[in-house]
Amino acid sequence: MSREEIKDVLLEIIADIDEEADFASLDTDAPLRDQLDLDSMDFLDIVMELRKRYKLQIPEEEYPQLATLTSCIDYLEPKLQTV
Amino acid sequence: MAAYQLLIIGGGLSGIAAGIRAARFGLKTLILEQHNLPGGLNSYYFRQGRLLETGLHAMTNFAPAGAKQAPLNRLFRQLRLSRKQFEVHEQLGSEIRFAGRSLLFTNNIKVLEESIAAEFPGAIDRFRLLRQAIAAYNPFASAPWRSARSFLSGHLRHPLLADMLLLPLMIYGNAEEHDMDLGQFVIMFRAIFEEGFFRPGATMREFLDLLVQQFHEFGGELRYRCPVAAVETDGDRVVGVRLSSGERLTADTVLSTAGMPETMRLAGWEGDQTQYVGRMSFMETISFVPRATMASLAPDRTIIFYHHGPRLAYQRPDDLIDPTWGVICFPGNFSGLSPEDSAQIRVTNAASYLLWKGLAAGAYGVAKEQWSRAAIAASEEIIGNYCASIVYQDSFTPVTIERFTRKAQGAVYGSAIKVRDGATPWGNLFIAGTDQGYLGIVGAMLSGITIVNQHVLR
Repeated sequence: MSREEIKDVLLEIIADIDEEADFASLDTDAPLRDQLDLDSMDFLDIVMELRKRYKLQIPEEEYPQLATLTSCIDYLEPKLQTV
Repeated sequence: MAAYQLLIIGGGLSGIAAGIRAARFGLKTLILEQHNLPGGLNSYYFRQGRLLETGLHAMTNFAPAGAKQAPLNRLFRQLRLSRKQFEVHEQLGSEIRFAGRSLLFTNNIKVLEESIAAEFPGAIDRFRLLRQAIAAYNPFASAPWRSARSFLSGHLRHPLLADMLLLPLMIYGNAEEHDMDLGQFVIMFRAIFEEGFFRPGATMREFLDLLVQQFHEFGGELRYRCPVAAVETDGDRVVGVRLSSGERLTADTVLSTAGMPETMRLAGWEGDQTQYVGRMSFMETISFVPRATMASLAPDRTIIFYHHGPRLAYQRPDDLIDPTWGVICFPGNFSGLSPEDSAQIRVTNAASYLLWKGLAAGAYGVAKEQWSRAAIAASEEIIGNYCASIVYQDSFTPVTIERFTRKAQGAVYGSAIKVRDGATPWGNLFIAGTDQGYLGIVGAMLSGITIVNQHVLR
């Protein structure tokens, strides 16, 4: 998957979780949770959805690497290379 | 390999919510419900072509669709249901009538503040400070039991106002007698006074249909008329359940929403079950009256909490029921509901499970009739006479509640001791629902969600 494709997948997952999500003013380098007003339960859903779709196991200690949209893409790019 | 990854005992609100979470993320999930309808404590039944609801007077935790961090909206996101498309009807207004004094509240807490300022002018500043203290308190951090009564008397120094505020919070969600854990008090204060009451559109049936449909949408299975006879264990693990029919089902994880005493019995769990049996149960008396009668009673009230005596005695009564305090609810009096030909009045009073259970079959029916009349008469002192206009009347007791929900002694709020982490001596058996902690419809669903998030999905 390309970086652009990973970004699209992430936005699709977030839009599914939160019908109120507004991506128009999203800063890709600022924390997602603060910008979208999401809580830890929503955040877990992003991780769970990635696991369900791509059989990706993301250990809890690596969650901080998923803070911003850019850091998510950086983290996922090598893992989703063959998808 | 086990037949199911997750097996849930009980198709009530906590069980269905737990099921939706598990199925949503691809777990092979089965819910087993003993009754032929879903809902558990918050279900419905039919009499003479009328649909009667069991638990629900109102849902608590009202929040507008945009308030993302509100418990109601978090719940909808977790279940992947559209909050925007969910029809809600807010309360018109509710009242606390206590020994001749009255307080009004709506989903705007300013109404309660104004009402306190008018009724107890000397206490309003203290009430505002109390609200700040409640806002600052984190009820979800684990903390030893603290008395809500001492907290209230410390802040308000006004025993009557404290009792009046406690009445709705206790009746709608306190498992223990006389006092309340401070954390539970804070949760209930926010749910009822800060957020408020509403109803979904239509009835409990449509709300349950929505949830069950979502569960099925994600591939979950639900079987009705399937009472579980035992949870089968092997060393420190559970392997599945045995149904009353003798059928055996295996599972990687079992989640029980049947309450602690019943779960202990099912699993052969050594220990003192009695400490987990709650003492508070209720009798519910439901009357249908013509719309015209209703209009003359309390057209602008949704719920009235009443109390005749001078001090609140929240306890199991010494008689079959105690009609001197209770709740009068008008399920038709929510904003935006179209009026029906007949309107319901529901009266709820504390009841003694043991006294009801002790009655012989014949005496039970007679007592039910006698105490329904007492409940109606007590409510008439508050709202005016309607007994002569009743077109249909039904009631249920703690014994009915126990039979349909397996909640020991019909204790709708479960035990005073909560098992917050849902853990049991078996590493793959968990508790959710009333005895795990959160109460009410929103609370029950959050309980199922939390336990699955913590123990099953991670």
